[in-house]
Amino acid sequence: MRPRDKWFNLALRDCPAALENIDFWRQSNLEPMVVDVVLVQRPVNWDYASSSPKVAFEQNFLSKDRFPVVWKSDSDEFGCDGHSEKVIERWIMRYESKKGCKEGSSGNKRSSTITSHALYKKSILLLRSLYVTVRLLPAYKIFREINSSGQIRSFSLVHRVSSSVEPLVRRDEAEMQQFTFTPVDTSCGKLCISLSYLPSISDTTSESSTPMSPQFITDYVGSPLADPLKRLLSASLPQYSPSSPFGRRHSWSYDTRMASPPSALPSPSPTYSESRTLHSKFGSHRPPISSRYSSLEPAQVHTKDTGYDEYFPSPNFSPSPSPSPPVGSNMLKVLLRSDSAPVYIPASRLGDAPLYSNKTVLPFSPPLQATRPSLSLVERSLSIPTTAGKLLSLRGEETARPSGVKISLNSSPHKSSSRSFSRLSFENSYDDSEFSGPFVVDDDDTIDPGSRPGSSDRSGNLGMQHECVRSQDAAVGALVQMLKKAPPLQQDLNRSQYVSKTSRPEKSSNQILDHPPHASSNVSSFSRVSGIKTTSDAMEELKGYLDVKQI
Amino acid sequence: MNCEVCQLKELDVEYFEIREVLRCILHTIFFHRALGLVRPKDVDLTLFEITYVQCGDAELEKKVDEKIDLFIDRVEKHPNKKNQICLSFFEVKNKQATWFTHKVEHLYWEQWYINLNVAQHPKPHSGKSHHSKLVLDPGESASDEGNARRATLESSLHEVLFQIIKFVNEKKDHIPPIPNMEGVSFPYEITISSSSDSAFGMDMFKRMLQTGHPTMLS
Repeated sequence: MRPRDKWFNLALRDCPAALENIDFWRQSNLEPMVVDVVLVQRPVNWDYASSSPKVAFEQNFLSKDRFPVVWKSDSDEFGCDGHSEKVIERWIMRYESKKGCKEGSSGNKRSSTITSHALYKKSILLLRSLYVTVRLLPAYKIFREINSSGQIRSFSLVHRVSSSVEPLVRRDEAEMQQFTFTPVDTSCGKLCISLSYLPSISDTTSESSTPMSPQFITDYVGSPLADPLKRLLSASLPQYSPSSPFGRRHSWSYDTRMASPPSALPSPSPTYSESRTLHSKFGSHRPPISSRYSSLEPAQVHTKDTGYDEYFPSPNFSPSPSPSPPVGSNMLKVLLRSDSAPVYIPASRLGDAPLYSNKTVLPFSPPLQATRPSLSLVERSLSIPTTAGKLLSLRGEETARPSGVKISLNSSPHKSSSRSFSRLSFENSYDDSEFSGPFVVDDDDTIDPGSRPGSSDRSGNLGMQHECVRSQDAAVGALVQMLKKAPPLQQDLNRSQYVSKTSRPEKSSNQILDHPPHASSNVSSFSRVSGIKTTSDAMEELKGYLDVKQI
Repeated sequence: MNCEVCQLKELDVEYFEIREVLRCILHTIFFHRALGLVRPKDVDLTLFEITYVQCGDAELEKKVDEKIDLFIDRVEKHPNKKNQICLSFFEVKNKQATWFTHKVEHLYWEQWYINLNVAQHPKPHSGKSHHSKLVLDPGESASDEGNARRATLESSLHEVLFQIIKFVNEKKDHIPPIPNMEGVSFPYEITISSSSDSAFGMDMFKRMLQTGHPTMLS
């Protein structure tokens, strides 16, 4: 450390930037030295990269005899539009000379020496106070903040050294506090240092450090808003209609939702609550989820049914107190369930019945194994020696009739009713092999190859022998059609005899069929199947007809 | 020579804030009174947004910390009492030694009184949970009340530091000549007292009579 760095017993390093601009005062000029610390604020869209550090030197002519010097040190580009400057500190140093005092006057050396020691001591004390004071001012915090973080901020500090005191803005001047250091007396004058500073400048620089107020994030990962798939699934949730007991109605509504842009986060809707009521009707025993949607729909939490959760899994953000399975497994279950129970969509019905267009929204569809024999039985019962057109027409009538009647009669628990849903849906949709498609049931266990349409010659008897669940209306319709288009008696008699000889009765469900060895029993099975008054009348007529044939 | 006395503003501090507050105040005073060659060192407080300056003297730092430890021990032994640290600068004058006596007289020329009102804190083995939290986790500002109190203390500490600066600027003539040495050039002593001491109030009263009204700067 050089000796000059130890002046006033304060070991400091040089500051070249400060030393360069005080030459004016080195020339023993008695002009005051005014140092302004300016806070420069740039606009929000200020481009830091476009600016470059600059040091500008200006000369201002205030009077003829004086050439005050104004030096500016700025890290910004001068003339930057939009930036504002605010003087936050002003240091004024001046030497006030005494009148009538002559410099270098001869005097008592001892007194001058003492004076020099005292002067030096007081100067040391002054500088110590100055050193500490600078670090207690608000500008020092800004200085440290700028230098500590590598962030590009919208404000910066600059200093200006001038020999004139520029008037401040009235408002700023009123806000500033004053502090005057004790002057250091010399033989011919005194050195005075005064300070004006803004006591609080936090409002100016708080824009970069103001923490955000806590806010709820509604579209983070896992929420329906963030995940489009979940949004679609959750958006379709309110579309459940109580008037559509079939899953197909739901799928239809789901399809329409798919066609249209999905709505925003589904808010609690009447349909949503009604659909939940629907499930409760059928005895849903699943425990309700309490807080899956607690953050979104707190009013609905306590009534939410877990059944919906399986198809429209809740977001992951809200904890669920109920021991419900995780979301991913729910979705997997839905997909697996859908895949395990494909729906055969007959081509003729795709336009008529959008109910059957989507396989995924059969909420309670069990596997098809139990229902497939019934499909074949339906086919066989209808493929009585008639033309193929008859079959198609019969099928068309079947599908036209709502199969929801069976639901109303079925008071069994939830799952059994769902089976009936699926059975009806499948028996109405299942058709001949000519309607094969990607959803054709292809299970050897459930479909007897012998019951294929190709063996329809024996279907008159075989159809009765297989397990078959038909709607009563469909059976009546089929019977009426059969009666209307029955072949001549002689031909029918021959056929029936042939069928009774060659066909072998197979097991059938007790619910529907019996297996009489003769043809008349075949007819009576139909009567059992129908079991209504109008059908019984028809059966009696048929019986009479057959008796006539035999005669 | 008069003894200049400066009664600093009383500060309400928590137990865990004692060390930082005392360090800040004591070193600021020493920086103004260590008139030999010093290498200033800026120190940032951890609990407050205040930067104070040290002399850069390792020996001085060690002595200050020792005194602070003694003060903390005294606070623990005498809770619910106002505690005070007195920093005195003196000159050593040797009295004429006699055959029986050899005294060294200390002529105090300046005394600084740092008044702290330490909040009640439990001893380590006590079961008071609401205070133990402060003891165990001094860095936490758990509630808004704590933040407000901390802000008030920071502002008060600022006032105390400016009080020191003003006092140093106003009172310069009583300082003895600077010896040619580095660091702390004047001998000093640090004494600890509390309101329970019998001499606590009397000392203050005596000083008030000698020096007049304490310099309370706005």
